Amino acid sequence: MSDKKPIIEFRGVTFWYGGANDKPAIKNINLKIHEGEYVALLGLNGAGKTTLQLCINGVIPNSIMGEFEGEVIVYGNDTYDTPVREMAKFVGMVFDNPEFQLSQMSVAEEIALGMESLGFSYDEMTKTITEVLEIVGLRGLEDRSPFGLSGGQQQRLSIASALAMRPKILVMDEPTSNVDPIGKEEIFAVAEQLNREKNMTVIMAEHEVEVMAAYADIVVVMHEGEILLNGTPEEVFSNVDLIHKLGLRMPQVTEYAHRLNQLNLASIEKPYPVTLDSAVERFKDIL
Amino acid sequence: MQGIVIPITMVPGNSTIHRMNPLPKLLWTLGILALSFSTRNIAVLGVACLIGLLLVFYSGITKAYVRVAMILFPISLTLITLQSIAPAFPRPWTAIVGFGPFTIYQEGIYSGISLLLRIMAMTTWAMVTIMTSHPSDIFTSLKKIGMPYVLNFIFVMTLQLIPILQSEFGIVLNAQKSRAMKGSGFGAILPSMVPVFVGAIERVQQLSISLESRAFGSSGKKTSFRQVRMAFSDYVALFLGFLVPGAATYWVIVDKSLDWSHSMVFSPAFSITLVLGATIGFLVFVFFAIRAALSA
Ligand SMILES: Nc1ncnc2c1ncn2[C@@H]1O[C@H](COP(=O)(O)OP(=O)(O)OP(=O)(O)O)[C@@H](O)[C@H]1O
Ligand SMILES: [Mg+2]
Repeated sequence: MSDKKPIIEFRGVTFWYGGANDKPAIKNINLKIHEGEYVALLGLNGAGKTTLQLCINGVIPNSIMGEFEGEVIVYGNDTYDTPVREMAKFVGMVFDNPEFQLSQMSVAEEIALGMESLGFSYDEMTKTITEVLEIVGLRGLEDRSPFGLSGGQQQRLSIASALAMRPKILVMDEPTSNVDPIGKEEIFAVAEQLNREKNMTVIMAEHEVEVMAAYADIVVVMHEGEILLNGTPEEVFSNVDLIHKLGLRMPQVTEYAHRLNQLNLASIEKPYPVTLDSAVERFKDIL
Repeated sequence: MQGIVIPITMVPGNSTIHRMNPLPKLLWTLGILALSFSTRNIAVLGVACLIGLLLVFYSGITKAYVRVAMILFPISLTLITLQSIAPAFPRPWTAIVGFGPFTIYQEGIYSGISLLLRIMAMTTWAMVTIMTSHPSDIFTSLKKIGMPYVLNFIFVMTLQLIPILQSEFGIVLNAQKSRAMKGSGFGAILPSMVPVFVGAIERVQQLSISLESRAFGSSGKKTSFRQVRMAFSDYVALFLGFLVPGAATYWVIVDKSLDWSHSMVFSPAFSITLVLGATIGFLVFVFFAIRAALSA
């Protein structure tokens, strides 16, 4: 993987929002993301996940005021001098406050908005609308007002709107925060499926450690604006002490493996297992 | 607060007028607007009003129309009161009768009635258009004839923002009530404005970020999802929309005999009754409006 050229590259990125806060929201970020990777961003509230994500399509520094250092290169475009609306052709964004992003009279028109700007034909649009509504499980709501939907439905709608533009990169900021448990599963499954079948690069900020450990190729742990850990889920979650110190949760099986080691009940070598399946596999030999 | 909100939106239906393309409707409305501004003749304005009312009745939007008219009409009645004592008319004025410390003038009564009819004619036609057309269809057809996309968007957005702000306003008001602040009357409304408007600004910022993230405003060909068709009958209606109001406007401008401001004479009894009626009508409305605002 490392021999391939990254499609997203952060080089020494630091960003301060204006105002009284003298601490940068993200600090000296260096990060390479390759095509088709599923990247999970973990971190406490205020760690800088959203800020980092906003840099990917250039909303930072182009549309949000502040002080920006370093550079972000996405598919060869320096976001600093590429308009956000151009980046939109390959980066789809799902923001964390869906109700603030709606503007149209109906669900269908809301989804069509991006496609209209990209010049899709009418037939393509109707076909795509059906497709993406099917994917996010909102079929039949085409003519409803987006403002009359529930929070979870609005979140699904904003995913559908992003997907309709056929992005190569899908950036999702806590896309399941308003969704019920079953809906969460569905949305994670959708992201996983797009990643696996369409080779879409997914960058997801989430608090659901378990799911991320299972689906993500890469886990990035942020704390106070810095990247502290970056690697496969196994590598990252093997840093048990650091993760505990940061106050983050671990996958339960990883926690368990670590406990077994500590209590000298077993000696499980790092990297620890992070999913139930791999744990069963590993524990079979040991126990 | 809800009581004061004027509900001007589409009333679903399947009348001929509903099925028409929005463009001829808009053109007719503009034509009536031009006509109404070109004349003070009570008969011409009255007929325009009447035809508008027939269309309201015919397209089945009467209930929604009446709800709006119940607010608009009493407010417009002030025109009669104010005009009758201070006409927007070149002097000299002809006095009819005294009215307390004021004098009611012939030109004032005429001017008041014609202004009232003018407003009712224009709003009635506008409401027929708005209440029988899907807003998206109106915007799509305007886009087709060259209205800038962004301008269009601003209209759609404003239309969407109003109910949102209303509901947020209600939420903030309730929150303040539950914190035992004075939750009714004007004193409560002012502090609620602040969070609502701060919220509105943030909403607009977020929205603009979301829009550009969806390629809004990008260069290159744009397409339209909403399709509006022009049927043959729509072309006929469009043609007539140029012809009929156009010809009528030309006629009212050219024909000087339509100036009835002096030939139409109002008796003192009629004038007093009219002005009193208009004033009382307005005051009753104000009374109910304030009561509704305070109890909301
Ligand atoms: N618009 C803003 N103006 C000023 N400061 C901001 C703004 N947005 C975020 N910050 C600050 O930047 C830092 C990083 O915030 P960010 O939203 O990126 O964190 P996050 O990891 O997404 O948190 P969460 O899990 O709560 O979404 C925080 O200290 C936050 O207070
Ligand atoms: Mg965030």
